[in-house]
Amino acid sequence: MTSDYKRFALTRAGQAIVVVLLAYVLTFLVISVLPGDAITNTLRDPQHGLSEEDIQRIVAFYGLDQPVIVQLLLSLGRFLTGELGFSLQSNLPVSQIVGDALPSTLTLATSALLIAIVFAVVIAYGAQYLPGRWAAIVRSIPSFFLSVPNFVIGLVLIELFAFRLHSFTTTDPNSAAATLFAAITLAIPVSAPLAEVLIAGLDHESRQEYALVARSRGLTEAKLFAKHLVKPSALPSVAMVALIVGELLGGSVITETIFGRDGIGTVVQKAVTGEDQPVLQAVVSLSAVVFVAVNLVADLASPLLDPRVKLRESKLREKVGP
Amino acid sequence: MTATLGYTQLRNVGTASRKLTSGLPPVTVILSFAVVLLVILWSLVPSLFTSFSPVTGDTASKLAAPSAAHWFGTDYLGRDQYARVVYGTASSVTSALVAVLIGLVVGSIIGLASGFRGGWLDSVLGRFVDVLLAIPGFLLAVVIVSSLGFQTINAAIATGVSAVAVFARLMRAEVMRVRSATYVEASYLQGGNRLHALLGHILPNAYRSVLVLAVLQFGTSILVIASLAFLGYGDPPPASDWGLLVASGKTYVTAPWLVYAPALVIVGTVLSVNRISRWLRKAK
Repeated sequence: MTSDYKRFALTRAGQAIVVVLLAYVLTFLVISVLPGDAITNTLRDPQHGLSEEDIQRIVAFYGLDQPVIVQLLLSLGRFLTGELGFSLQSNLPVSQIVGDALPSTLTLATSALLIAIVFAVVIAYGAQYLPGRWAAIVRSIPSFFLSVPNFVIGLVLIELFAFRLHSFTTTDPNSAAATLFAAITLAIPVSAPLAEVLIAGLDHESRQEYALVARSRGLTEAKLFAKHLVKPSALPSVAMVALIVGELLGGSVITETIFGRDGIGTVVQKAVTGEDQPVLQAVVSLSAVVFVAVNLVADLASPLLDPRVKLRESKLREKVGP
Repeated sequence: MTATLGYTQLRNVGTASRKLTSGLPPVTVILSFAVVLLVILWSLVPSLFTSFSPVTGDTASKLAAPSAAHWFGTDYLGRDQYARVVYGTASSVTSALVAVLIGLVVGSIIGLASGFRGGWLDSVLGRFVDVLLAIPGFLLAVVIVSSLGFQTINAAIATGVSAVAVFARLMRAEVMRVRSATYVEASYLQGGNRLHALLGHILPNAYRSVLVLAVLQFGTSILVIASLAFLGYGDPPPASDWGLLVASGKTYVTAPWLVYAPALVIVGTVLSVNRISRWLRKAK
């Protein structure tokens, strides 16, 4: 652990904290400054049946009678101490709402990630080792996966496997089978960029001399793939966690809606329709926290995994791109 | 083994003959251009392609299966689904265009300023782009559209804003790449000023990769806007945006064509756009 690495790690961690704070501010500004007075609209909505006293209490809590900058500082200060406020719709603490929804989304996202990795490896293997014409077809799968909207995949899977083959029922969305199909829906768009990176990596690695030597010594292609080629080809995909985390979080909104699961995505949807500002603010800023944290870990880990990676302080800036 | 060799040889012959006729792009690219052309025509002159109305239907023939008269079948009000798809094209395609334009213009300005000016401006804009990237794109679009109000044009703006970061990053990288090139230095030595370097050297060089990204982003925007419309964040019915058609079709389990027809149109369009983008990237 050199002092160079320590300085690099500290700078990156500092940058990450700044980005999270600014993401909170940006979300706050988007939600509260843009036209439409969400909070008071919701509060005055007679459907919620809030008494004038309740309204006064809530207005005082969020500082709604004060300038936006005061509201922002109030809200940011609470966020820093882990206080996320209360839902305007149900009056429950936001932390409780998010906490209740989190396990379901985590299960969905983790299974989707695993399935996406399996898909990507199978596609990359096929692209490398199937005979000519088949390999060309397999190589075009990622761009096909990227062209199909998430909701279409979900509806097709439900139509085929729930309505025709009766593999699962939509009335029990938390059963293992239903979770599996929801995870496949979420996994397909995620697997495409992963497969592309793996294919490019394998193309590069299998041309290297060590691969030729291994082949000439009689190693079968399957063994060469599993023992030598996979690891160096997979390293660049570590840098893609950012993209994947975003895709999993964003995609869960649609997937959960289609499959009728209760999770973070459904919480977002309800918050949007009910103009539930505190819930929306919390979910968006927490997903920024997750995104930045995962990125930070990947950034800090990559020089340790691959010594050839140079320590660059603003790696995040070059990483995501076309 | 011999089969593989034979195939490789054949393929080599194929590439050789393709080089001779290098004026024409591959068949899939020509097909893709045809699909995009059809989609553009649908959005400009929908009445040329169908005689049915997208708004009024014949309730006697509701939920009819696809036939010679109704290519994509009819919906629960007996409206021709093909007419609904064709008339919904204008809104779906224009909003994707608006999204790309917002991302392209705002992103390019940020990237140009950042790469060209450098220093503190680069740091400030760089952090801003980091922040835009830190919020998952689709969530950001959902939050923006919920603040602006549920309309297709707002969905387009939201999609555009969430694409700003990608364009900014690419433009900055392009500027950095060209800025230090010898011929740009030479143009400074000959007395050219910064504006000259920008207009004469940096923009023309960056244009190609930005164009490739813009085409790719057009496909992505169609998907994002369709997803927003699917969730009900676009114009309400009787508008017939592609995503909205899928959403309203999914209620009728006995009439799966109501989902499949607009879904196929979305997939076909995005696939074509992506193919063109990949061809442009290779051709450069």
